[in-house]
Amino acid sequence: MRLALRLAIDKAFTAATAIAVIGLAGLLIAVLGPMVAGGAQAVIFTSTIEFRRMQLNLYNRGDHDQITRQIARASAARQKVYDLIDEFKQGIDTQYLADQVRRIHRQFGQELKERDITGPTYAELRAISAQIRDRLEHALHTDDQDIWRADLDYVLGFSSDSRLIGTAAEAYFRIARQLKQATNGLDLSMRSQYALALKELEDILQELLGPRPSSAAPPLLRQQYGATRWDQAQRLLHRLLYQTKWVEQGRGRPLVRMEVPRRQRFEGTCLEQLFDYVPNHIRDMLLPRLTFYWQFFIDDSLESHTFGGVGPEVLGSILITLMAMAVAVPLGIASAAYLAETRSTGLPIRIIRMCINTLAGVPSIVFGLFGLAFFVLTFLPALGLGARPSILAAGLTLAVLSMPVMIRSSEEAIKAVPSTYKEAALALGAGPLRTFLTVTFPAALPGILTGIILSLSRVAGETAPVLFTGAVAMGPIPKSILQPTRTLAYGSYDMAVGDRIAELSPHNQYGMVLTLVMLILSLNAMAIILRARASAKLRGH
Amino acid sequence: MTIETKDHMALPVVAADRTYRPLYLTAREDLLGLVASWVGRCLLFAITSISILTVLLIFVFVIYQSIPFLQQYGLASFLCSTDWYPQADPPRFGALALIIGSAYVTIVSMAIAVPIGILAAVFLSEVVTHQIRNMVKPVIEVLAAIPSVAYGFFAIKALAPWMQEYLGIPTGANALNASLVLAIMALPTIISVSEDSISAVGRELREAAYSLGSTRLETTVKVVIPAAHSGIMAAVVLGTMRAIGETMVVWMAAGNANQIPSPWWDLTQSVRTMTATIAGEMGETAKGSTHYSALFAVSVVLLLMTSVLNVISNILLGRSLRPSYT
Amino acid sequence: MQGHRPQTMGWTPIPEAMTMEISRPSVTASQITALPSPCPCGVIKAEAFSLYYGQKVGVRNVSMEIYPCTVTAIIGPSGCGKSTFLRSINRMNDLIPGVRTEGRLLLDGHDIYDKRTNLVSLRQQVGMVFQRPNPFPKSIFDNVAYGPRLQGIRNRMQLQQIVEQSLRAAALWNEVKDGLNKSALALSGGQQQRLCIARALATRPRILLMDEPCSALDPIATGRIEDLIEQLKASYTIVIVTHNMQQAARISQWTAFFCLGELIEYDRTERIFSNPTNKQTEDYISGRFG
Repeated sequence: MRLALRLAIDKAFTAATAIAVIGLAGLLIAVLGPMVAGGAQAVIFTSTIEFRRMQLNLYNRGDHDQITRQIARASAARQKVYDLIDEFKQGIDTQYLADQVRRIHRQFGQELKERDITGPTYAELRAISAQIRDRLEHALHTDDQDIWRADLDYVLGFSSDSRLIGTAAEAYFRIARQLKQATNGLDLSMRSQYALALKELEDILQELLGPRPSSAAPPLLRQQYGATRWDQAQRLLHRLLYQTKWVEQGRGRPLVRMEVPRRQRFEGTCLEQLFDYVPNHIRDMLLPRLTFYWQFFIDDSLESHTFGGVGPEVLGSILITLMAMAVAVPLGIASAAYLAETRSTGLPIRIIRMCINTLAGVPSIVFGLFGLAFFVLTFLPALGLGARPSILAAGLTLAVLSMPVMIRSSEEAIKAVPSTYKEAALALGAGPLRTFLTVTFPAALPGILTGIILSLSRVAGETAPVLFTGAVAMGPIPKSILQPTRTLAYGSYDMAVGDRIAELSPHNQYGMVLTLVMLILSLNAMAIILRARASAKLRGH
Repeated sequence: MTIETKDHMALPVVAADRTYRPLYLTAREDLLGLVASWVGRCLLFAITSISILTVLLIFVFVIYQSIPFLQQYGLASFLCSTDWYPQADPPRFGALALIIGSAYVTIVSMAIAVPIGILAAVFLSEVVTHQIRNMVKPVIEVLAAIPSVAYGFFAIKALAPWMQEYLGIPTGANALNASLVLAIMALPTIISVSEDSISAVGRELREAAYSLGSTRLETTVKVVIPAAHSGIMAAVVLGTMRAIGETMVVWMAAGNANQIPSPWWDLTQSVRTMTATIAGEMGETAKGSTHYSALFAVSVVLLLMTSVLNVISNILLGRSLRPSYT
Repeated sequence: MQGHRPQTMGWTPIPEAMTMEISRPSVTASQITALPSPCPCGVIKAEAFSLYYGQKVGVRNVSMEIYPCTVTAIIGPSGCGKSTFLRSINRMNDLIPGVRTEGRLLLDGHDIYDKRTNLVSLRQQVGMVFQRPNPFPKSIFDNVAYGPRLQGIRNRMQLQQIVEQSLRAAALWNEVKDGLNKSALALSGGQQQRLCIARALATRPRILLMDEPCSALDPIATGRIEDLIEQLKASYTIVIVTHNMQQAARISQWTAFFCLGELIEYDRTERIFSNPTNKQTEDYISGRFG
């Protein structure tokens, strides 16, 4: 019995260890999964014609003729939407119509003068026109259905007047007829509410389809184009069809979010068909197409990462990393060579080793502070280079940070070279320096490279040390190493917490982080392959 | 006896033009060689000493920048007060809550990571074959390679909403979130260092335990882990160092509320760590201001803590390198 | 036989004709020992030579003369200092910390351990082949050309010539001539060892030290190396350390027996193996040694 219990506990223990490891793999998937899923959407997604139009306009990318044709096709499909809105507006937008009526009156007067009609005829026609104008304006401002109809009928009564046919005054009757038709079944008292609802609808449509072709281009880029991504278009379509309302469920209870079909607000009007037309023709209006937007990695971001890519961030990360490596690699290899080849185990060497250990344990944020206090505020000004964050300062800070990793991995690689190589070279008459340069170093090179790549990947992913020494969230592409730069790591942080506008384009947030993670993981994969090659080479394959 | 020439070679003509430099160096050559090797050695030593210089510079600069603050404000009120109001008038800089915040998330993360890490290390070294171990290793390497800002991103974009939604925690940015992510980040260190030391335990010891009828659990707990305890402790200390020095994750995910958690077991409260304070506030301070200096004082505390841990880990690692079962 | 032993002398350049004489493809062993002096090969003479690692004795009080253009075998039980003695001849022991020497070790009358010694020149004149084949992880060509390049030979044609000569001399040319750019590590163990010999020959040494060159090889490869040594002794003074007494008997003319860091007996190989004067030597050779 006791044995059975012992065995059972042992089984449970083994299972627990297995679960711990399986949990690790699960963790990896949990961490990377959302990033990969979200980030991939920044590069591979279904774009709309608006996206292609933007690419054509901004970067001159894509087949000009084809896109122009597509734009024409989409515009044709959209025209019906605009027509419906205009028709509906006739009955709603009283101010606009009143302005129009007044304009017609002025035009008519002008026309009469041009036709040399003077004297009593002129006075009479002017009076009729004024009368029509007044009645129409009256009609536009009333909420009473009867007065409305009476006014319109009165105006239309003049339509058979032969003196008015063929003149500008005919426009009066067109407006009157349209009004009569448009407001059939329309509750006039609801007109102001309709106006509000229409405004909302038009705003959503502008987000979805972009500004109307006839209107002037809005100042902000994100207002100049409609939904550039199909998923975004789907969301906007949903917002178009359903209105979110917070409904009280009773006293003291929290409000409940409800979605009400927007169609209800336009029941019985000509605009009702819009809610059938748009969902049925959204594809024609936006022409979705699967796109591989590889330029994400080289494009500058536009309007706080609403559009565009992470080009400057990638560039900045690479620049800072190269800067750091340019300093750390020679120093690190020289130090490693000295430590590996020296036969001394004296106090200086022990102190050096202790210091390298200490350096490896310093938190990265302290490196950041050190970089700020030393490189930015003391060292570079002493060289006359100005006390401000720069790629140079960030690179130097990261070089210091990566030194322990560099030294340790290089020393290991150098020590892993069989001593027989060294003996052979010495026996052939090579001096210590020659031996190191021609035999030991080449043999250790793959191992050293592995170390370099691993510290590269560490340096590229560091955020805290560059916070105060060279990274900025927004800024131009640097022109020299004395300017700060955007980096992937800092950009990822900034987009995740600092930037409200970035919340509107989650794919770009994830895209930035994924770019960083992919960069680092591919560097690591390279290191792993190189390490395997190196050990195979030393084994003689 | 004739020589068989297998390669029908012409015997070494090499012998023909053997000319050598004299065996002895001239005095000049000797001197030059001596000077060159001395200069080279000194140069290399100087380069290698840059490490010493850097460590010295780091300590000197960080401590030097913090002195004005400590002179003005006093060590006692800095370490014993929880009032961190750098913008108040007069500003107050009590770092106690920050120090406790750092310790708090670190301890919680270790409480999560250490058992899992040791179990995983035991699994890799005691349970599975070499092949499976080689399959799991890349997972650990990838976990270690992911940059901290990506972990922070995960914490705030995936974990925080999940906590709000499914655990009913009012804010997703809290000590639990930060600790969980710190635990994930410390796991690779803990696993690989303790796995190394567990694997280093001699086979004889294990075989002796098994031959006496111990189960795997008993062998592991009573024999292997005691034998490898130095290395495992070093692993825990290294993991602690990584967690306490981590900036981005706690800055993004811990909520940054300057308070000592109360009640102390409630992990869903927001806390603020030393690293997050430095990262968050340094950008807004002017060089030479009290606030600037105070942040350096915070970093001195941080640096001292990690240095002590570093010394401990080195002692432990040095001990675990010796055969530990004697 | 005693009369054939060449006199110890400093090396002087030899006329071309003489070299051709030496380099004849089929010379017999007896002919070589009968060669008229001066001989191009180096002479090594130890005078009460001792070497210590700190407090530990490497070799103690060794006095012997190694004759040019012969194969001298050093035999003895493990740890007897035979490798140490071999490695002192080109000062490879310098790599070990705490080494000091007493007495003198002379190469052509010059003290090897003089502090003015040019190690580069010494090691050029005293080539060495190690226990395990240790070609560099480079191509075959680069391996052989390593020494000449150190001596400042950059001319590609000249290098090619030296490489070919050396590889021919090491009886490897026919096997590798089509793949000189292949990695040396791709060769078999025996080929690697012959490559190492070729590499040592390419620096044109006068003395060739071999530290158990066949211990890591199979019998066939060993046979080829032994043949090679037979051929090489015409133009090199060869000192070979070996564990294998048959090998020593087969290839050497002189044999030295070391025990516990001391030189016990040094005589003609036939004498040592047939009629040793020392009891210890006899025990060792007849296999009674512990």
